[in-house]
Amino acid sequence: MSVFYKEESGIGFITFDQPDSKVNVLSAATLVSFDKILDDLKNKSLKALVIQSAKKDIFIAGADIKEIETITEENDAKSKAQAGQQVMNKLEDLPFPTVAVIDGAALGGGCELALACRYRVMTFNDKIRMGLPEVNLGFVPGFGGTWRLPRLVGLQQGLKMIVSGAPINPQAAFKCGLVDRLYPAVGLSERVREFVEQIAAEPGQRIFKPPVLKGLAGFLDQNPLGQSMVYKKTIESVQKATKGFYPAPLRAVDVIRKTKYLPREQALDIESSAFAQLAITPTSKNLVKVFYLAEKYKKLSVPGTEGIKPAGVVKAGVIGAGVMGGGIAQLLSNRGVWTRLKDINQEAIAKGLAAAYDIYAQAVKRRKAKPYEVAAKMAMITGTVDYTGFSDADIVIEAVVENLDIKKKVFTQTSQLVGPKTILASNTSSLPVTEMARVSKDPTKVIGFHFFNPVHRMPLIEIITTEFTSPQTLVATVEFAKKLGKTPVVVKDAPGFLVNRILLAYINEAGRILDEGGSIEQIDGFATRFGLPMGPFTLSDEVGLDVGVKVLHVLEAGLGPRFKPSQIFDDIGPKKLLGKKSGKGFYIHGRQRVVNEEVQSLIKSRNRASEQEAVERMIYIMVNEAAMILQEKVVDGPDAVDIGMIMGTGFPPFRGGLLRYADTVGIDGLVDSLEKYEARFQDGRFKPCSYILELKKNGKRFYS
Amino acid sequence: MDRIAIVAGIRTPFCKMGTSFNNLSAQELGRIAAREVIERQELDVKLIDEVIFGCVGQPAEAANIARVVALLAGVPKTTPAVTVHRNCASGIEAVVNAAIKIRAGEGSVFLTGGTESMSNIPFFLSKQYQEILTGISRAKTLPEKLQGFAKIRPHHFLSPRIGLQLGLTDPVCGLNMGQTAEVLAKEFGITRRQQDEFALGSHQKAIAGRAVLREEMVPVIPGPKYKEAVIDDNGPREGQTMEALAKLKPFFERGTGTVTAGNSSQITDGACALLVASELRAKVLGMKPLGYIRSFAFAGVEPNRMGIGPAHAIPMALKKAGMKLSDVQAFEINEAFAAQVLACLRALSSEKFAKDFGYEGHTGDIDPAKLNINGGAIALGHPVGTSGARLILTMLKHLNRNNLNCGVVSLCVGGGQGAAVVLER
Repeated sequence: MSVFYKEESGIGFITFDQPDSKVNVLSAATLVSFDKILDDLKNKSLKALVIQSAKKDIFIAGADIKEIETITEENDAKSKAQAGQQVMNKLEDLPFPTVAVIDGAALGGGCELALACRYRVMTFNDKIRMGLPEVNLGFVPGFGGTWRLPRLVGLQQGLKMIVSGAPINPQAAFKCGLVDRLYPAVGLSERVREFVEQIAAEPGQRIFKPPVLKGLAGFLDQNPLGQSMVYKKTIESVQKATKGFYPAPLRAVDVIRKTKYLPREQALDIESSAFAQLAITPTSKNLVKVFYLAEKYKKLSVPGTEGIKPAGVVKAGVIGAGVMGGGIAQLLSNRGVWTRLKDINQEAIAKGLAAAYDIYAQAVKRRKAKPYEVAAKMAMITGTVDYTGFSDADIVIEAVVENLDIKKKVFTQTSQLVGPKTILASNTSSLPVTEMARVSKDPTKVIGFHFFNPVHRMPLIEIITTEFTSPQTLVATVEFAKKLGKTPVVVKDAPGFLVNRILLAYINEAGRILDEGGSIEQIDGFATRFGLPMGPFTLSDEVGLDVGVKVLHVLEAGLGPRFKPSQIFDDIGPKKLLGKKSGKGFYIHGRQRVVNEEVQSLIKSRNRASEQEAVERMIYIMVNEAAMILQEKVVDGPDAVDIGMIMGTGFPPFRGGLLRYADTVGIDGLVDSLEKYEARFQDGRFKPCSYILELKKNGKRFYS
Repeated sequence: MDRIAIVAGIRTPFCKMGTSFNNLSAQELGRIAAREVIERQELDVKLIDEVIFGCVGQPAEAANIARVVALLAGVPKTTPAVTVHRNCASGIEAVVNAAIKIRAGEGSVFLTGGTESMSNIPFFLSKQYQEILTGISRAKTLPEKLQGFAKIRPHHFLSPRIGLQLGLTDPVCGLNMGQTAEVLAKEFGITRRQQDEFALGSHQKAIAGRAVLREEMVPVIPGPKYKEAVIDDNGPREGQTMEALAKLKPFFERGTGTVTAGNSSQITDGACALLVASELRAKVLGMKPLGYIRSFAFAGVEPNRMGIGPAHAIPMALKKAGMKLSDVQAFEINEAFAAQVLACLRALSSEKFAKDFGYEGHTGDIDPAKLNINGGAIALGHPVGTSGARLILTMLKHLNRNNLNCGVVSLCVGGGQGAAVVLER
């Protein structure tokens, strides 16, 4: 039982309290029990019915995603949605007032249940998020949310919430009329009783009315012409954001447009059909898998270290105030970590501070931060040209130039002057952390902490362990990554770690396809049509050619000739065509970006790979490299590869991740293709690695 | 007896009003100095019992600026903070306040100092204009509002009251601070040339002392541009000459006066932080204090002769310390005006003065070679709330550098006071 009913002085109370769980979800069984209670209430005359949750910080977290995940038939999906819709209708049709009391997350089905009540009251609890995030899982709300929400909060706000999937906080919920009252959590039950008395005093009418929109907002909301503008704008922005890879948000717009003026039964039929069609698509299934994956890594704990409770990081030292160092200082200060930024002179520190401030200034411009907050956060960063203020740091992050000798010097020196608790982390993208540990006073405190650029936007951190790294250091670093709001993935020290190794296999293969007679723009187009956020040459320009080639050399030295830079990288290296930072690379980065014909004209061969071939080569070579990483136990499983590629490179979530995509292709097909290309090039780079051959032999997949 | 230790100190460079620190608020300057003391001392902030800062022109948006400085500098929210104001001696007042609290058993570690952004002292609207605006905001109907607006005249906003000017004018005697210096110049017969020579010396010593002064400073990279670091005071003029000083017109008394912009202190932004602790506590915590407070004194004088304050405060403090003036190895007397410092020196040399006020045995001649060794406020600038703390820091660094035992710092105080502290190692 997870739904309970009681009655006190003429008021009915339904309490959701799922046993043995921190949250409430609307599983099929829960819905049935809820439905039964509603049936019993139908003929009662209550002053009001109050619906509440017994969980801390949770009202109802949503429908049971596991149940949706297993649906494969459209009919099945539709009938499940309809079952939920009928319960919500029953709630809506009760003859007495109904009040949802929300003191925690009310998402998806939980939000829809609250929408079916006549009133909603909420607390000031800052853990509260209310909204309909269904599109993030590749489907539309299915319990009447698409119909009820825009009616309550207006077309624009409703569309925004459903199409973006972004939930809102109590203040926003009150402002848009989603809830009728905000109360302090202390004394909530008394406030609810007072509220019930108030509404019972005026039966039959809604006494609290949502805000009426006037002027332009009113026009856009209520006037048919205004509405069609709203739909058009929304569709345009959705198309721009999803590039056609994610059908759910567009479908949500479509459902809302069709049902806005329809009566309930017809409207809900359209909604459940849309839900059913979307919920069974591979895109949705992949998004659900990625959702689980992201949840797992957001809460990542290192197996076998449950007993270790690290002290948090209060103060950090950052060595090197370049683009990365400045970005790291900004992130740390933004998350409340006191930061001492060290470089060799004041000019360098000034650049680091300016880089950090620029990020804050953008946030102010987008109204994401107030100037006084920025002043207080910038105040958490201080510069130094000596190591004063380092001895009491909880962690020191080294972000100096990518040169092993220099890094070793920094580790030798720093490890002597920091305190015994200080963790020494390197932000290297490809150099051996083990070498840095070897020269440090206490190698157990040394770890890799690899941010991706730009630091404030990229959600991944690779945490690189060496044979010396202690479990305490690892756990503290993982917790620190989470405190910074980043997704940590734990990687063993090996050339290129996880993400760069796979990514450079892809960029280098793109270079080879270009060598053979491809076109820069076309190859980039193939990649983005597959769903990657950027083509390989655009990416190379963003990162900087010198950086990319440097890492390729590291990989070639560590892993063999399959990472030998393709001809084009060698050819343009000496020409100082570094990419965006020098203004020219594969593209010329002016006001409008155009292909750099100087580079394209270097290609003399005329063997143009087909789209299918190009995509297969670029993706499968990554799969093969990832399989080698698994074989070498650099990471602990396919999950780590997929989260790394999604968070670190923007590998398209709708594909489910690199290895999830490989499973979709099928191991047999994958091996066939790899062997085909190996037969053609005969240089070993497409030779299926033993991990894949093993999977094939045993009839297994990466995920099984 | 357990002495009061000045454990460590740092100041920002001093920058003339409207220059490099134009965009830095007083609280930002204060937190830069305060945070740097914490960082360099690698101090556990939980040890701080209270934060005490002096500030004369407290920004309206940072009421109790000491609290704002404390929070911005990472002092725990649970640690209290208080702002003190004794006009030009506010920085000294902060330190002395900590000393008194330590003596009274009200704590043993205090983060103190002073901060001032004279670039950001606001202009005020006239009372009349203020009333019109209040009337408009209270008006209920449109005609009433329009009536209010109709009363506004250009002079309401074209001639605001300048906060800085108001602050530098004594409300009781009605004289501007510069005019009080003219009073002393006349009383003691101090000539324009003597004042200019003193001013020239201040610049020359400050230029020669650049490297030495850097030891007490943290480089500041001012936002929001964060373009380059300020590593020196920008007041001292390298090519300062008597000719250039002589060209300046008397600023406060046209025609008959002797006090010019060149022989007065500069109007400046800057902050200074000092960590104060009981001697015992400092020892337990393993701190190595710069020096100790031996005694201090504040004196009241006529507001229109406020510049004479040090001539009273110094012998009073020496008396409390049981010391003769000749025991003192170095002096820092704040150079509000050359005329005022010279007047103090003359008074201290005068036997009649000592007799009149009962300072016998505690006055005498001050050797110019021991006075303001690295220049004073005429060259370095005088951020009013900060200067007192700066003088203590400069003196302690000087004593340590030269292995001296005893120094006196003193300031004249607008409103008619003098402040002095006897420091020892």
